[in-house]
Amino acid sequence: MMAADVHRPEQRQGCALWAASLIKQYKNTAHPALNDFSLEVRQGEFFGLLGPNGAGKTTAISILAGLMPPDSGTVRVMGMSFRQRQHDIKQLLGLVPQDIGLYDKLTARENLTFFGKLYGISGRKLAERIRQNLAFVSLAEYAARPVATFSYGMKRRLNLAAGLLNDPQLLVLDEPCVGIDAQSRHLIHEQLRDLNRRGTTILYTTHYMEEAQELCGRICIMDNGRLVEQGAPAALLRKSGMSSLEELFLHLTGKELRDP
Amino acid sequence: MLKIIAAIAKELLLLRRDRAGLLVLFLMPAILVVVITLVQENVMELTGQKKTRVVVLDLDQGDLGKSLRQQLEKGNLQIVVWDEKQKDMTDIQAAVQGGDYQVGIVLPRDSSARFKQEAARLFQQNNAGMQEKPADRAVVHLFFDPLLMAGLRSGITAQLQMALTTIAMQAKLEVLDRVLQETMAGLHVGRELMPLPRFNLPELAGQPLLSLQENQGPLPQAGAVPYNPVQQNVPAWALFGMFFTAIPIAGAIIQERNSGIWIRLRALPVSPLVLFSGKAAAYIGVCLCQFLLIALIGAGLFPWVGLPAFTIATHLPAVLLTVLFSSLAACSYGIFLGMACNSYEQASTVGATTVVTAAAIGGVMVPVYAMPQVMQRLSILSPLNWGLTAFHDLILRGNSLPAILDDLGRLLLFFAVTALLAWKLAGIRHSRS
Repeated sequence: MMAADVHRPEQRQGCALWAASLIKQYKNTAHPALNDFSLEVRQGEFFGLLGPNGAGKTTAISILAGLMPPDSGTVRVMGMSFRQRQHDIKQLLGLVPQDIGLYDKLTARENLTFFGKLYGISGRKLAERIRQNLAFVSLAEYAARPVATFSYGMKRRLNLAAGLLNDPQLLVLDEPCVGIDAQSRHLIHEQLRDLNRRGTTILYTTHYMEEAQELCGRICIMDNGRLVEQGAPAALLRKSGMSSLEELFLHLTGKELRDP
Repeated sequence: MLKIIAAIAKELLLLRRDRAGLLVLFLMPAILVVVITLVQENVMELTGQKKTRVVVLDLDQGDLGKSLRQQLEKGNLQIVVWDEKQKDMTDIQAAVQGGDYQVGIVLPRDSSARFKQEAARLFQQNNAGMQEKPADRAVVHLFFDPLLMAGLRSGITAQLQMALTTIAMQAKLEVLDRVLQETMAGLHVGRELMPLPRFNLPELAGQPLLSLQENQGPLPQAGAVPYNPVQQNVPAWALFGMFFTAIPIAGAIIQERNSGIWIRLRALPVSPLVLFSGKAAAYIGVCLCQFLLIALIGAGLFPWVGLPAFTIATHLPAVLLTVLFSSLAACSYGIFLGMACNSYEQASTVGATTVVTAAAIGGVMVPVYAMPQVMQRLSILSPLNWGLTAFHDLILRGNSLPAILDDLGRLLLFFAVTALLAWKLAGIRHSRS
């Protein structure tokens, strides 16, 4: 397994997200969830974070999005640290959580209005942003319907729309296509590619290899809280001599089941 | 400010769409205040706090019946007289046994004649100095509702006994007065030598030598309303409803935490304090509406069903302050419950149990003074007791703000402690997540 390069903590041009030597261990667990994990995502990249169940992907995402502090290590978002500029970072960061983060009893528009106001957006600007985002995820005609009436695919799309309200510079998605149909997945992929083309940096976690291969310019494979391998999918396949990303993944992480 | 307003609006919107929640928060205390007040009104009848209904059947139609009614009407009794031509003792017995009247009194025929005869016989002596054989006394028949409480039964019996004793004493004195005058006249004693003044004996004996004055402590405060079930129950059940807001508050927090909502909220540029403040502010508004609804039921609906109207004569700002502090305590308890419990089922069970227990020991269902000693000591731990005591001080005793500062202080302390505990629990959950 190749160790990741460790970069100095100076502000690098074009570096959207930088994490060095992250360690995180939950109470009453035998092993750390993150064990000297390092990562660098450049601005404008579509970066994939892959790993088997329990590899530490969600923990990594939580720390990188500022939801919890690491036990040790450093995180920089657009050169800023959460400790000093948490509010500024959260203004430019968008998060699409793995669980649906929407109020079932509220309509699509009401959900987006609430979350938009928490970003400090209001009035016509908010109304326009909501209209654009709903159109972006093809939910414009369902704006007045309660989320409880949505299919799972529709909820996932609205979940994405809520994460885009602040027009983020860095968008972090934690397995956004879990459990949805191919059509919804295809739409989400298309829209994310479009966002990326327009300059949004995307950090995307998944354990679907074909998703990573299709979307990501660069990926990193993590296991047991560490970065195992990273690079462009094509380059990794050439280097390893494997025929598919799945084969490479299983080679690097093993074929044993990952039950807790 | 925009973010707090957004949080408040979101909570109210969610509550508006939660029909079950609205029923618990508004319909439940509304129904309870009506039902419990009506029930307690009936209990007051059975314990003598209202005028006791007494039915009198005067089969004698003589002076004795009139005198007895005059004596009884001085007390807390509502006398209903039945027509002797249409009713008899069996009818009275049935009416009282059936609960139509609490007490029934029957004066048999010839009671007045027998009574006068008995009074005259007292001062008759035969030449041998022996009294004649005593005649049959007039008997007044008394019937009680079987459900009447022992205390009230004793009180009415004593009142009746006293009335009969007074009537008998008057009659004796009249006879004695007549006998004395006849005796003096027979002895040819001049009026100036008579040992007694010229007033008649019954009137003389009726002059009071001692008086009884009921003291109520310091001067009655302006605005104090006499105790009645309405003044007790309206604030009591309003408080009960307000503290029940803890359950939907806790449920909302748990739902946010168990879904992706809390993760999304934590990723937003907004402080958790702002979010919780918005939640608390929304539910404080709900608590104010609850109090208003119950007060309106007390003021508007109760007179229609024969109950006294609920009134807040004075110190309205102090009453509103009590509502506000009680709301703060209730909302912070809900937030604490939301942080402490892991599921909605847990929160609703714990919340309902603790609120009902606090209400019971706090004097919402049964006044504190009527509880056993142990429970009276426990009652000081109940936030509902603090709120209810403050309301009673204002509404029933007519006190003003300084008198309730201690209770408001306890409510504020409860708010601070539960808010702090909730904050700590949030930190623990955050470090474990």
